[in-house]
Amino acid sequence: MSQRVVITGKGIISSLADQADTLHNALCAGQCGLGSIGLFETQHMGGEVPSFDARAYLGDGNLRPLDRIAQLAASAAHLALEDSNWTTEMRAEQDVGIVLGTVFSSVHTIGTFDQLAIRRGPRFVKPLDFANTVINAATGQTAIWHNLRGINSTLSTGASSGLQAIGYASDLIRSGRISMLLAGGAEELCFETLFGFERAKLLGKRVESAVPFDAGRTGLIVGEGAAFVMLEDAEKAQARGASIIGEIRGYGTAFDPHRGQDADKLGMAMGMAIRAALAHSKLNIEDIDCISASACGSPMGDRCEAEAIAAVFGNQTASLPITAIKSALGETLGASGALQSVALVEHMHHGVLPGICGFKALEDGLYLPMAKKENCTIPMQNGLVLSFGLDGNMCALVLSKA
Amino acid sequence: MKRVVITGIGAFTSIGTGCQDFWKALLSGQSGISPVESFDTSKYAVHVGGEIKAFSPASYIKTLEAQKIGRTSQLGIAAAKLALEDAQVDMAALDLTRAAISMGTTSGEPNQIEQFDDYFVADNLQAAGDEMLTLYPCHHIAAYMAAELQFMGRNTMIPAACAAGTYAISHAFDMLRLGQADLALAGGADSFSRITYSGFAQLKAIAPERCQPFDKNRKGMIPAEGAGVLVLEPLERALARNARIYAEIAGCGLSCDAFHMTGGHPEEAGSVKAMENALFESGVQREEISYISAHGTGTPTNDMHETRAVKKVFGNRSGQVPISSIKSMLGHTMGAASAIETAVCALAAYTDRIPPTINLDESDPECDLDYVPNEAREHKVFAAMNNAYAFGGVNASLIVKKFKDAC
Repeated sequence: MSQRVVITGKGIISSLADQADTLHNALCAGQCGLGSIGLFETQHMGGEVPSFDARAYLGDGNLRPLDRIAQLAASAAHLALEDSNWTTEMRAEQDVGIVLGTVFSSVHTIGTFDQLAIRRGPRFVKPLDFANTVINAATGQTAIWHNLRGINSTLSTGASSGLQAIGYASDLIRSGRISMLLAGGAEELCFETLFGFERAKLLGKRVESAVPFDAGRTGLIVGEGAAFVMLEDAEKAQARGASIIGEIRGYGTAFDPHRGQDADKLGMAMGMAIRAALAHSKLNIEDIDCISASACGSPMGDRCEAEAIAAVFGNQTASLPITAIKSALGETLGASGALQSVALVEHMHHGVLPGICGFKALEDGLYLPMAKKENCTIPMQNGLVLSFGLDGNMCALVLSKA
Repeated sequence: MKRVVITGIGAFTSIGTGCQDFWKALLSGQSGISPVESFDTSKYAVHVGGEIKAFSPASYIKTLEAQKIGRTSQLGIAAAKLALEDAQVDMAALDLTRAAISMGTTSGEPNQIEQFDDYFVADNLQAAGDEMLTLYPCHHIAAYMAAELQFMGRNTMIPAACAAGTYAISHAFDMLRLGQADLALAGGADSFSRITYSGFAQLKAIAPERCQPFDKNRKGMIPAEGAGVLVLEPLERALARNARIYAEIAGCGLSCDAFHMTGGHPEEAGSVKAMENALFESGVQREEISYISAHGTGTPTNDMHETRAVKKVFGNRSGQVPISSIKSMLGHTMGAASAIETAVCALAAYTDRIPPTINLDESDPECDLDYVPNEAREHKVFAAMNNAYAFGGVNASLIVKKFKDAC
């Protein structure tokens, strides 16, 4: 067993694209995946995956047992398995694992199941739906669909779930418990989730309200999607002749016990997570060539993040390219950190970091000169992905280009 | 990698709280099954559950406002406080930035979505509270525990259904052996859920009166609630502070059937693999396993398949290993179950006593192993294995062994 964990494949389903290079091009062209929602009745904007049809990825099998989040996850998993060349035959012989990060999971299925019990009585509920009322249903369904018999785990840490799932999965390889697994996250757009954000008064009214670090931001737009990377023990990946596209150098986390009630404490936890990720990666701040920020258009959250980055990187902040993709894809919660990771690997491969979609002017008083609308063409070897839950959990992860 | 030991146990269950009361209740074979009170069961064919009837969250929750957080979080905090007290952890000497929490759950805070559903069906969502975002998602359980205790280290929730407790403990085990934390609270919690009850009732999986694992006339599982939290530390830290060590975590095995969402694999492929992987990772020999805490739900199929899986792994020794299911007493505490059962394995290794499988009246020819029927037993326990199986085809086996200073 080596201590190195490499990325051998990637798969995404997002409101802008279902291929990493198409997503990269769309982000570089300033395209936005946000708009009105067609899935259910609402006045709110969202980042819906337009006319999503899982059959395009999963074929004509019986998709009925899979709810929307399971279909999003299984589709992204299909793309990642294909990209990493883990064929059906290979999966029949070896146990591939999966770690899925999610926040609301199958909340819509869970609610619908219970509502039927209230309306018609408990004897009318559907057993098929009951299977999907556990929070790990999408992970289980994805494993059944793709015959993944290794470790099957689901991680919930709030908005950082997808990124922390990748970190957790890399530890499962480092501890020697498994050699290969899919790691990422998924989230579906649904009424229940939007209701929660609406009541918490965190939503931006218009698409333009949710631009990271922008002076005019007022709140986030909720999105959906799924993303996986295939992680493998480096030696075993090389031995099977896999094409290696990146490496997980390390990750760090921190928890803010004040849970976002105190901006200073929130920023401090963000900085702690970044420093922990650098230490775990055995890298210095000078080794970091770019950042994919967590910022989602939250007035306080984005400010704390900018301050945390400046606190850790000091003068280097002036020349450190930074992107933030949530004004293009929305706050995709459990999927967000995984989507950022796949996108950043692609940005580093192309040597172009996309500008921030819709960015007009940096908020007064923030020191983040590289936050801008324009793309940045620059060689990038090591990238830092940030995924911060404003209710407590901070995660930072360092990726390297192959 | 570092060795990891269990130095504290906090259980919050229908038959007892804390470590000693709970253990005493288990050894004396108490049942925590009673008529369901948290919702109206008149439209159901079954009416019993394993609810915790006397729980005053405010006596445990001091930093936060107890009434402003969900019941599962409340149970998690109560169990965490009991575990820290049991471990006699000096909080002032603890580096809070390296104090971690890893918890498991099946349903998180189901009461929150159930309340939403009531308002939704009544077409009265205006009257619903504002807490869907701040109380419902399951990561709040570990987060509120950390907020109460001011823990700033790694904080994770692993919703791996009824194997969640073991998955969460294995995650904490990894954090500690990889040097990512100094101390971890690890376990599982679930509160009594109408949704879970409706589902199992519809599957006709709930027993009408008693939970009778491995009995010939067993009629099913009984949904329950509870929380179990362990204090885990690297061995050198535990020794340095002269802590009582219940047992050492030897290793675990995690697998997935990838076969069926709610039923097990017909050939027990995944459950066998989980046990074998746990033996391999821990380096413990089959002959050294002297107790198995069964998943033992009391459903006809689970108990039969689990018996077969044990036979496949332990061969002609399988009849000599005492196996018991504490679900006969507690019912199925869902995401908390395998955490509480890991605590039971640690206590068995520490005290050389094994809790019984109660309600075992008539043996089943298909379940013909030693299930420690009805009476606790004194038995030298060198290493104990805990098995857990879950929706999603998730399997987990974890081995703890009696602590000996020399490796």
